[in-house]
Amino acid sequence: MQARHSERKAEFATSSGIPIERVYGPESALTIEEAVDKLGEPGQFPYTRGIQPTMYRGRLWTMRQYAGFGSATQTNARFRYLLEQGQTGLSTAFDLPTQIGYDADHPFARGEVGKVGVSISSLRDMETLFSGIPLDQVSTSMTINAPASVLLAMYIAVGEKQGVPMAKLSGTIQNDILKEYVARGTYIYPPQASMRLITDIFSFCAQNLPSFNTISISGYHMREAGSTAVQEVAFTLANARAYVDAALAAGLAVDDFAPRLSFFFNAHNQFFEEIAKFRAARRMWARIMRDTYGAQNPKSWQLRFHTQTGGSTLTAQQPDNNIVRVTVQALAAALGGTQSLHTNSRDEALALPTEESARIALRTQQIIAFESGAADVVDPLGGSYYVEALTDAIEQEALAYMEIIASLGGAVTAVEQGYMQREIQRAAYETQLRIERQEDIVIGVNSYALEHEPEPELLRVGPELEQEACARLADVRASRDQEAVDAALKALHTAASGDDNLMPPIIEAVRTYATLGEICDVMRAVFGEYRPV
Amino acid sequence: MPMNQGASTRPIRVLVAKPGLDGHDRGALIVAQGLRDAGMEVVYTGLRQTPEQIVAAAIQEDVDCIGLSSLSGAHMALFPAVMEALGKEGATDILVIGGGVIPADDARALQELGIAAVFTPGSTIAQMADYIRLHVRGHVSSAPFTPPEQIDHVGLAVTSIDQARALYTDFLGYSLVGFEDLPEQKIRVAFVETGATRLELIEPTHDDSSVARFIDKRGQGLHHIAYRVDDVAAWLMRAREAGLRLIDEQPRKGAHGTQVAFVHPQSTNGVLLEFCQVESIDQQ
Repeated sequence: MQARHSERKAEFATSSGIPIERVYGPESALTIEEAVDKLGEPGQFPYTRGIQPTMYRGRLWTMRQYAGFGSATQTNARFRYLLEQGQTGLSTAFDLPTQIGYDADHPFARGEVGKVGVSISSLRDMETLFSGIPLDQVSTSMTINAPASVLLAMYIAVGEKQGVPMAKLSGTIQNDILKEYVARGTYIYPPQASMRLITDIFSFCAQNLPSFNTISISGYHMREAGSTAVQEVAFTLANARAYVDAALAAGLAVDDFAPRLSFFFNAHNQFFEEIAKFRAARRMWARIMRDTYGAQNPKSWQLRFHTQTGGSTLTAQQPDNNIVRVTVQALAAALGGTQSLHTNSRDEALALPTEESARIALRTQQIIAFESGAADVVDPLGGSYYVEALTDAIEQEALAYMEIIASLGGAVTAVEQGYMQREIQRAAYETQLRIERQEDIVIGVNSYALEHEPEPELLRVGPELEQEACARLADVRASRDQEAVDAALKALHTAASGDDNLMPPIIEAVRTYATLGEICDVMRAVFGEYRPV
Repeated sequence: MPMNQGASTRPIRVLVAKPGLDGHDRGALIVAQGLRDAGMEVVYTGLRQTPEQIVAAAIQEDVDCIGLSSLSGAHMALFPAVMEALGKEGATDILVIGGGVIPADDARALQELGIAAVFTPGSTIAQMADYIRLHVRGHVSSAPFTPPEQIDHVGLAVTSIDQARALYTDFLGYSLVGFEDLPEQKIRVAFVETGATRLELIEPTHDDSSVARFIDKRGQGLHHIAYRVDDVAAWLMRAREAGLRLIDEQPRKGAHGTQVAFVHPQSTNGVLLEFCQVESIDQQ
């Protein structure tokens, strides 16, 4: 009975199954040569330590809270509130009908209008959404994928009405369709047609919207669906390679579009693994872009990313505990060098956040930024025996996954075959079993549970909203120039059937107040709809 | 599993369905897999099903239970629509349960509309499987079953294993094996290897452990009898049906990688009863 050195568990491992030693020491330290090769200086290849030399000493990360619910008027009010509270960028959540290209009055929209985000059916809703918010003074992120080109067109049209030229617009569209097939589910068209829409956006924006991020290649939702940290990095970068390949195949030059690619990662609870994940992803992307694709512009090598804390780590039980989880996760994102951050609200496992919860979430990252000192030095964990060993391990395991995907024929084929979906599902199920066996402890759920949970105040979106949205839409349809709408939709049909860039005819169509559903229906008729395997 | 052994009835059939446009199917996929591993036949509809499509699939697949999952907030429109469509088809004998991000007052409203139960985040597969077994039409309470294989061990509460051990080792000549600390229960255990049925010596490691309180109240002595079964979850359900007072609503980890659950002595003639399953859930 050698109890002197006994440990709580026989084996310790990260969420990705990477074994954790008791302690890491000089034997795992980098040599000077390795440190130059693997780390570099902040702001220099391979950017392990961060993409800027000064990082948050120069400018703090953008505090960007994802918001949107109900009508455009309600969300506009929440946007203005968040800007008044010191938020520095907008992030728009759309409801599911909008994300899947259905107008609010479509039968499939029943029960969903305004529920998980704002309902946008036509340019008129978009004008209301950004009313009183000058588009040349904010950067706006839009979580929109399959119909990204339509919402971007509406944003451009709102800018026109405000007198802001396209070139002055800044922001991000998510526009990452591959992860929709893998994890998030808001696809419309089959993969090949979707990839064309994406490369059309790359090409149009390279010429007209130089400060707009044309895509946010997202590991976030795959992680939420249950992937490990390693899978999150591997599948995200594999998808990113597929977009680069598609753009090159469409005749674009790598340095024309790569600087506008951006990324979106999750921050879960395992603090050091998450920090190492961000650092590994930066290093991997820099090497892929420079060495595999021969990009010359350093901006093409830099992995810029947004982070959101982990929604699936939040518990419905004892929801105030979630503030603590979010704090740990947000600190990991800051120490990992994120460019922008959304901190989740404590009540998101129950409903959309209330205003008070949204404020606490924003305050959480403000406290980290202004009070903790974490923003006053670049990459403070660089050189930590443990963090560097974890960074290497994540890189190695993610590269192995990427090789498998390459051997299947790349991410598009892997998605079509359901490879990533199966890997994620397996990891998710294993996590669930570990929780049910109490091998993974979730405070307040399988340990330290309360017998009686109080019921917190929740935000409710009422059903009357659906009727109001339908009434507004009927008004738009009645008051617009129908001949102009028909002509614009016909022109779009012709372009979609050929090879022309689809952005100009879509912009023309939204200007006539053709609805989101009508525009997407034209493309559904040409491209067909995706049916999962 | 013992509850269904020898039963002529087919396995319970479940349709896991995603009504509406919600794309979050992690929960639905986990539940589908978990119910399959619990011995049920499960059909998963995939995303974006209308209430009418779901009811048509349920009837075509002849399921006993429909599990609806929604995380988009559309449950108050879509779940009742499924109930209405079931009514139109005269299929109201199908058990309907729901899950997802559903506030408590919505859950109560849905239950009034005929959704039998709502499982929100934190629910376990075992809870759902138990619930379904217990509530589907022609449920298995009357099905034949196999009694527990044997008495796995008899638990004896002692103030100190070190002081108690001499009787079993020096006097009776058995060996003491399997020392283990269970910090969550604040106890330390060791087994006396006597042949088929073992004795488990249980020593409290802290004053506020339930075993310390047991000894304070009743002195050292017989603490529990553990029956070896091959499906603790199924036995818990059977105990619940029999109206026994459960200490554990679901199986939990016991010593040496076992799955265990306890039934309160109040309903077992004064002796704490344990179900003990040797292999873990995922090996079934």
